[in-house]
Amino acid sequence: MVRRILRTEKKQAPECKGKYVYCIIRAIEKRKSFGLIGVEGTVVYPLEYKDLTLVVSDVTMREYSVDEDEVEPHRIVVEQILKEYSVLPVAYGMVFKNRNLLQIAMSAGYAAIKKAFILVDDKVELGIKIFLPGEMDEIRRAKCTYDFLMGLKDIAADYKELKLFSSRLIMNTTFLVDRSQTNRFSEAVENLACGYGEIKVQYSGPWPAYNFVDIHILGNKRKGFR
Amino acid sequence: MFLLDDLVLRSLGISVPGLDLIWTLEQVRNFANREMYNPEKIKNQIKENRLLFEFSEISKEEYERNNLALMRKLKLAEKIIEMDLGTRNDILGSI
Repeated sequence: MVRRILRTEKKQAPECKGKYVYCIIRAIEKRKSFGLIGVEGTVVYPLEYKDLTLVVSDVTMREYSVDEDEVEPHRIVVEQILKEYSVLPVAYGMVFKNRNLLQIAMSAGYAAIKKAFILVDDKVELGIKIFLPGEMDEIRRAKCTYDFLMGLKDIAADYKELKLFSSRLIMNTTFLVDRSQTNRFSEAVENLACGYGEIKVQYSGPWPAYNFVDIHILGNKRKGFR
Repeated sequence: MFLLDDLVLRSLGISVPGLDLIWTLEQVRNFANREMYNPEKIKNQIKENRLLFEFSEISKEEYERNNLALMRKLKLAEKIIEMDLGTRNDILGSI
């Protein structure tokens, strides 16, 4: 008797694709794609919703770890878009199962998104970190942070003091600056830094207004649409 | 001597917080664990490490090595919180 062994190939579950959202911009015309710059090397393209445009790409549905290499494509896309448009950033790792779910989220947050756009329109975020190389006199330290804050806050539309995560960090402030004022702001930073040769200044940006917009839709923290 | 007293008293189900040496040692251990595996502190260390690299105070290799170790520590700290290992449960319940 001949036994025939029939091999049945394991059926692989179809790869589930979702829509990864990078940021939201105002409605744009005649643009089909932003190029192959997305997560997993995917095409980033615009998706319209009323008078807004979502910048998305079709990616595999999975949990996105907060890993430098993983976050990098998200950052690159948002920075690329920021060069041309006013951007409302979306938290890293936001993937929607399909277009319908994305539209539900958008309709839930539409009013808040529109309101936030007024705040970020034609503005960018610029960050200042002041780091001490060694010891610094307490009075001079206070004077340094005061001078920087006073010298920059009038040029900016808004500012936020962030956490001092190191004992050597004496200033960690982010400023919301009108695009037309960025050169003036940069000059002011340079002049202030020249007055304090002993400190290390990190001037970063332009970034999307990450620290000035925080909209939570459909849940909290990373599981929701922020 | 005190330790033996505490052990005897504990076996009888008597423990006086503050006077109980084992209780005190547990408090010290818990405090040390909280300090060592505090996710917020580890996140601060990750950011500080990045800043040191950006200001060229440490090399890329050193930065990557520190970052890897800190990321592992953070994952462990988050897991510890998730598992709630610091809480002692009365497995016998109220029988």
